[in-house]
Amino acid sequence: MVMKKLLRNPLSMVGLLLLLGFILVAIFAPWIAPTQEIYANDPYRVPRFGWGTTPEPPSPQHPMGLTQGKYDIFYGIVWGTRTAFQVGLIVTGLSCFIGVVIGSTSAYVGGKFDEVIMRFVDVFMSFPFLIAAIVITAILGRGLDKVIIALVIFRWTGYARLIRGNVLQVKQDEYVMAARAGGVSHPKILLRHILPNTIFPVLIQASMNMGSIVVTASTLSFLGLGAPEGHADWGQMISFARNWVLGTPDNSLAYWYTVVWPGLAIVLFVLSWNLIGDAFRDIMDPRIQG
Amino acid sequence: MITYIARRLLFLPIVLIGVTLLVFVAMSFLSPYQLVSAYIKSPEELKNQSLDDLVRKYGLDQPIHVRYVSWMKNLLKGDLGYSVSANMPVAEAVTKRFPATIELALFASVPVVLGGIWLGTISAKHYNRPLDHVTRTFAIIGWSLPDFVFGLILLMIFYGVLGWFPPGRLSMWADTVVLTGNFTRYTGLNTVDSLLNGRPDIFWDSVRHLIAPVITLSYLWWAYLLRITRSSMLEVMNKDYVRTARAKGLTEKVVVNRHVRRNAMIPVATVSGSMILGLLGGVVIVETVFDYKGLGLLTATGAQQLDYTLILGTTLFYGMLLVLINLVVDVLYAVIDPRVRLE
Repeated sequence: MVMKKLLRNPLSMVGLLLLLGFILVAIFAPWIAPTQEIYANDPYRVPRFGWGTTPEPPSPQHPMGLTQGKYDIFYGIVWGTRTAFQVGLIVTGLSCFIGVVIGSTSAYVGGKFDEVIMRFVDVFMSFPFLIAAIVITAILGRGLDKVIIALVIFRWTGYARLIRGNVLQVKQDEYVMAARAGGVSHPKILLRHILPNTIFPVLIQASMNMGSIVVTASTLSFLGLGAPEGHADWGQMISFARNWVLGTPDNSLAYWYTVVWPGLAIVLFVLSWNLIGDAFRDIMDPRIQG
Repeated sequence: MITYIARRLLFLPIVLIGVTLLVFVAMSFLSPYQLVSAYIKSPEELKNQSLDDLVRKYGLDQPIHVRYVSWMKNLLKGDLGYSVSANMPVAEAVTKRFPATIELALFASVPVVLGGIWLGTISAKHYNRPLDHVTRTFAIIGWSLPDFVFGLILLMIFYGVLGWFPPGRLSMWADTVVLTGNFTRYTGLNTVDSLLNGRPDIFWDSVRHLIAPVITLSYLWWAYLLRITRSSMLEVMNKDYVRTARAKGLTEKVVVNRHVRRNAMIPVATVSGSMILGLLGGVVIVETVFDYKGLGLLTATGAQQLDYTLILGTTLFYGMLLVLINLVVDVLYAVIDPRVRLE
C-alpha cells in the first residue's frame, strides 16, 4: 500500500530512481572505474596522474578532470559512493541498535532508572551535533572509523527518545498484561511482544536519516577531520576544491569541475533519501489525511 | 507560570554539570602531556619548566575526581587555558570572536524564520497542487544541499564571477578604519557599531560581507521550517473552529492568517530550540567557507590544528550557551502556549 503510494508520487519516484542509480554505481564500482594494478591492494585509494597541485580540466582519459593533487575526480566519485553507503549504513545500524536497546529498556523499567537515563540523553542532546562530532574526531584522531564512532555517540539519543515514547504507550496494553500474567519473562516480553509493535517508526526514522548522516560525515572530511587524504570520499573531494573556486585571474570559472562534480554527487545522494522521506512522512502522517 | 520557570531553573545546574562532565570525560582520553596546555596561563610558563614539572604542578597525575574538582575551580574563575592556535587565552579568544557569530546568527535568523513560515503557508494553502510541489521541491533541494557545497558555489559565482559578495568580515580599508581610527566598538557587531559611529560606508561594507553566509545558512533551514509549518497548518485546517470561521463568512485571507497560522505556530516554536542548535553548528562550516572570523572558524581551525584546549573550551561555551538558550525558548514557549504551563 505504502509502496504503491510512493510510486504514484512523482517526487518520490525520482528519489527512488536516484537511489537505485547510486546502489548500482556502488555495486558495480570495480567495473565502472577499474582499479589500476599498482593500487590493487587498496581500491579506495584515488589514483593520481602526475605531480603538482593544479587541477586539470576533463579529458577523454579523465572524464571529470583531475582535482588538486592530480587525483582523478571520476574515480573518487564512483568509489566515494561505496564510502557514503558504508558510513550511512554502519552509523544508522549501530546508533539505531544502541538507541533501541537503551530507550526501550529505560521505558520498560521506568521509575528512577528511566529518569536518570533520560537526563543523560538530555545532556547529550544539548550539544550541537556537528560540534560534538568535531570534538570526538579531534580527540580520537583522523579517519573514517573515528567519524563513524563520533556520529554513533551523538546519534543514538534521538532513537532512544523515539522508542521510549512508543514503548511507554503500549506498556500498559492488554496484550502486555496478558503476557505478564502468563508468566513470560521480562526480556522476552520486551523482545517478543513490545518491540515488534513499536520499532517500525524508529526504523523509518533511521532510514530517513541516512542523507543527513552522510552530509555530516562529509562535512567532517571537508573540515579535514574525516577520511585520510586520498581515500575516495566526496567531502574530501570538495575540500580539495576549496582553494580553486575563485579560478584564475582571466577565467574565474576555470576550475568549476573540482567543485561541481563531487558537489553534484553528494547533493543527489542526499536528495534521493530526502525525496523518499518526505513522501513517506506525508503518507504515514495520519493528521493530514483530512 | 512562576512554578514552571522555577522548576526549569532548578534543573539548570544539573544540566550544566552534565555538560561539564561530558567535556571532562572527553578530555580524559588525552594524555597528561596533551592536557597541560589546558592549564597553563601563557606560553612563558613553558620556558623554564619541563613538561613533567607542569604535569605535577597542575595535578594532572592525580586521580580523575581530584582533577575534575580543580578543573571546575579554574572554570568558575573563567579560566579555560591557553590556546596555541589562536595565540591567546581561550576565554579571551572566545569573547573576541563571539560578537561576529552573534551578528551572523542574528542576520540569518530573520530570513530563516520569516521565509520558512511564509513558504510553509503557501505550501499548505495549495496542498497537493502545483504551487505546493514547487515550494516543496525548492525546500527539499535546500535541505539536501550540504552547506559547504552551497557556500562554495555561492562564493564561486558571487565573488569569483560577479565580485559582489567578498569573503571575510570587512574589506581591507574598512578593517583599517575599525582597528585604528577613532572608531568606538560598542557591541563588537560591525553593522551596529558602524551606524553608532555614523559610518554608513562601513555599514554597507559589513552587510555586503554578510549576505552570502546568511543566504547559505537560511536556505538549509527554510526547508525544515517549511515542513513543520506546512504539516501543522494542514492539521489545524481540519479543525472545527476553522470550519466555523469559514462558515461565518470570513475571507480566506483572514482565516488563514488569523485562525490557522496563529495556532499552527506552536510546533514551530517547539523546534526553534533545535534550530538554534543547528544554526550554531552550521556557523562552523559557513564561517570556514567564507573565511568569516567568528567562533565557528575558531573552532574549526582549532580542530584542524589539534588545539585541544581551544576545542574543549569552545565546546563548553557552546554547551552552556545552548542550555541557556533552551531555557529562554522554553519560557517563551510557556508564554505563547498556556497549556504548557498547566502541565
